[in-house]
Amino acid sequence: MTTYDLIFYLFALIILVSAFIVVAARNIIYSAFSLLFTFFGVAGIYVLLNADFIAVVQVIIYVGGILVLIIFGVMLTNKITEVEIKTESFQVLPSIIISGIIGGTLVAIFTKTNWKVAEPQILDKTVTEIGRFLVSHYMILFELAGIILLVALIGSVMIARKEKLETEEVEK
Amino acid sequence: MENNSIQNILESLNYFTPELALMLTFFVLLLVDLFFRKSKYLLPAISLVGFIVSGYLLVYTPDVKGFLFSTGMTNIGLYVIDPFSFFFKILILLAMIYTILFSLSSKEINEAGGNRGEYYVLLSSFALGMFLLTSTIDLLLMYLSFELVSLSSYILAGFTRNVKRSAEASLKYIIFGAVASGAMLYGISILYGLTGTTNLYLINFYLSNQNIESLPLVIAGLLIIGGIGFKISMAPFHFWTPDVYEGAPITITAVLSVASKAAGFALLIRSLKIMFIDYTATNLQSSAWAILSQFKWNELIAGLAVLTMTLGNLAALWQSNLKRMLAYSSIAHAGYMLTGFVILDNQGIMAILIYFFIYLFMNLGAFFVVMLIADKLGSEEMEDYTGLGYKAPFLGVSLTIFLISLTGIPPTAGFVAKLYLFGALIKAKWIWLAVIGVLNSVISLYYYLKVVKNMFLRESEIEYSHNLGHGNLLITLSLLIPTLLFGIYFKPIIEFAEQSVRIFGF
Amino acid sequence: MIPDYLAEFFGNKFIGYLIAAALPLFLWILPYALYAVYAERKVSAFMQDRIGPNRVGPKGLFQTIADILKLIQKEDIVPASADKPLFVMAPYVIFAGTFAAFAALPFSSIYIGSNINLGVFYIMAVSSFSVVGILMAGWAGNNKYSLYGAMRSVAQIVSYEVPALLAIVSAVMVIGSLNLNEISEMQTAYFWNWWIFGGPVVGIKKFLLIIPMTIAFIIFFIASLAEVNRTPFDIPEAESELVAGFHTEYTGMKFAMFFLAEYGNMFVVSAISVSIFFGGWQSPFGYLGNSLGISWLIPVEQVFWFLFKGSLLVLVQMWLRWTLPRLRVDQLMTVCWKYLTPYAFINLVLIGIITLF
Repeated sequence: MTTYDLIFYLFALIILVSAFIVVAARNIIYSAFSLLFTFFGVAGIYVLLNADFIAVVQVIIYVGGILVLIIFGVMLTNKITEVEIKTESFQVLPSIIISGIIGGTLVAIFTKTNWKVAEPQILDKTVTEIGRFLVSHYMILFELAGIILLVALIGSVMIARKEKLETEEVEK
Repeated sequence: MENNSIQNILESLNYFTPELALMLTFFVLLLVDLFFRKSKYLLPAISLVGFIVSGYLLVYTPDVKGFLFSTGMTNIGLYVIDPFSFFFKILILLAMIYTILFSLSSKEINEAGGNRGEYYVLLSSFALGMFLLTSTIDLLLMYLSFELVSLSSYILAGFTRNVKRSAEASLKYIIFGAVASGAMLYGISILYGLTGTTNLYLINFYLSNQNIESLPLVIAGLLIIGGIGFKISMAPFHFWTPDVYEGAPITITAVLSVASKAAGFALLIRSLKIMFIDYTATNLQSSAWAILSQFKWNELIAGLAVLTMTLGNLAALWQSNLKRMLAYSSIAHAGYMLTGFVILDNQGIMAILIYFFIYLFMNLGAFFVVMLIADKLGSEEMEDYTGLGYKAPFLGVSLTIFLISLTGIPPTAGFVAKLYLFGALIKAKWIWLAVIGVLNSVISLYYYLKVVKNMFLRESEIEYSHNLGHGNLLITLSLLIPTLLFGIYFKPIIEFAEQSVRIFGF
Repeated sequence: MIPDYLAEFFGNKFIGYLIAAALPLFLWILPYALYAVYAERKVSAFMQDRIGPNRVGPKGLFQTIADILKLIQKEDIVPASADKPLFVMAPYVIFAGTFAAFAALPFSSIYIGSNINLGVFYIMAVSSFSVVGILMAGWAGNNKYSLYGAMRSVAQIVSYEVPALLAIVSAVMVIGSLNLNEISEMQTAYFWNWWIFGGPVVGIKKFLLIIPMTIAFIIFFIASLAEVNRTPFDIPEAESELVAGFHTEYTGMKFAMFFLAEYGNMFVVSAISVSIFFGGWQSPFGYLGNSLGISWLIPVEQVFWFLFKGSLLVLVQMWLRWTLPRLRVDQLMTVCWKYLTPYAFINLVLIGIITLF
């Protein structure tokens, strides 16, 4: 076992433990905060895969954006001075059976399958390559992603704007 | 190599003009909405112009052009233009144009106030997403356009923000949609791991030449079919349909039940056919084709089709809300249409196309009449329709015709559609499936005619008078006439569908 | 490179790198933070016409060391109604975010924690750990002032990340690299080769670049002030409104950790400015080691220049703190979204056009 293996297992452990807390924690705020460690672990795995750009993007978007948003959401939708926010589980037995079946199938797939393995390439500058791909090979996807984000933005603004419009109408 | 690929992309843009027109419409609407918020007709007019221009460009782009946006050797393109996608794009544009016309007279939309601008903006992005879905040949592009369609429709479903059930519909749609696209993405990732490519043609190449285990392939296929099945409200993934159709504004329900379903079907047929066709066993001269031996996808689809139509019809029996009933009936129709794929024959796909074309008119018509009545009556409950046939004879008769056509009774176009579908099934020796289809149609007769019975055979004291206005009259007629005409003179649709079964490369 | 040398010395890559990674903490962050606190008090005293600390040691030089000793001895109180696990974890998460940023700072041509290609981008990313840490601290204290402070702080940091990143992107567009070490290397020789003066570009382009680069620096500097919660953007900690913001409930060493992280962050953002705009570890007017012919002196000089320039910018931050009044929340958002962000975009386009030629 090389040191890289050790580091991999360390990150894998972080991901598994924190992801388990995300699901199992009764206090929703713990779930939200332990997502931090899940994202951190995933970023670590990306680094080991030599995908440094993806790792950094993972941190900047998921930790800096989505996680903060989730925590804000949790904090603002409840009485903010109260720490007790509970989540509960329903239908424990059926869900265990179903997830067991799905999990078993997936494990079988991942261990038994003969995956197509590409030649590992170590790129000196990943950012340059990614940039080049985004404006040539995947240009249309890149532009489309822009439109999708714009639509999401319009939608969220439209939903969030509600009350202000109503008060405006009242004032008139 | 870089210059070459840029050249290639620029050249591809020439064939991409209909989509570019839609994109332009999207941005123009966004900007115009910023400055001319008050005007009532400007935004719908711009959207209509945008859709018509897009249609014009669609007709004048070449028939077949494969592998657009292809660059270099690793990637053989993301997009194709073929008669198959042309058919569905025309269908989608028709549905979108009708939706805009419906929206003009819809009470729900006009009372929404300040958000009307976003409504038209999102409709155009919705159309763009569906356009891309009909002719994508790359899993990545497929996923992204899928998300564009989904996101637009989530927001549109919750558009009437003051209505509680509309918000509920939107939320349910988002939750189900997120699960569906997550599942699809998982399937895509497994498929990518197996074949190392996201291009449908290359996937087919690997699947036919490499020895690939069937378990991961089946799971990946199931997950992808599940994701698409969500869009077309196929049976185990149909739970969202009634709630969303009931809660959303009727115009959106109409467009969801026709256009987004059409895009989903186009995607399903294209991806399954391209990915799993077996070249060696297929004689490209004949219309029938064979499927790769790992898994009998068509038998799976057959099972799902039976489940879909039976569940849809049985649930529709108990509904008292007309919108909800039409939602279940649209599930059932998705079931009928799925059977066309089962026989692995271009005849079957042609039947699906014919069915869709006719379904467009009859379903939109039914929703439009329900919308007109609901705007006046303030209710979609079947109880409130009693005696309507005498108080508003034109609407009553139109609704009756649309419902009869949905059932598939002779003088209407619905009969032609079912005739071709079941005919193709019987010809391909899938008799049990045809029998189940016919039985289901008989069940559907009951709940469709229940509405008709309420309208004509029962008296009521409710005061109701309806001044339709010329515009609405014209729209209704433009839907009613095809529904009746294509029941008698259906040659043009058949020919159009016959030309359109050609998928690029086959 | 020092990390490689250490790796060779210990015979194991990982041990060597670990020790190299710990170097800035012990050799720079701790002493720097001690004396930054002292400097801050002296600066404020000077500006308010006071004397400031003057009892412990000559001119009060050992005041902060005494403070640290006091803080270490204090009881580590966890409030009864606090959320204990999060309360304990928060200071470490915040400090980890700050400390991780030091990994990509080039202290000299022979020392950089990790010579990664994504330098600046990486630093911006790990700073988001601090954001979550702040939320954690504010929540765990179970005190309304903490929570308000945390909310304000995070809203501010997340908003000001936009103009900060845009300013960096516009500079990086000209530079063509994200690696801070590489960026520093480019600005060699004399100070007119610093990127704020157009960088080592020749011809008219250099003069065209001066104004947009200066604007980029100013935008980045203002945004970075907000990111480290310094006045005029210190509403998260506004003493007169919120006691002390998100760390109200903290005492003892945990409290000290927040201070360490805060002063560390101040240095990190200054160091980014220095590396991108002010030549990094390059000396403004040639090296003494070169003229004397002593080659080992050059890296030492480089370390000096890097730390000197960085500390100078930290001093500017302190100077601003004691000069400007605090902004209101709405003014804060107006500055960010209505002024800085649009200007940053215009600047981005401008620089893009200039680089085209």
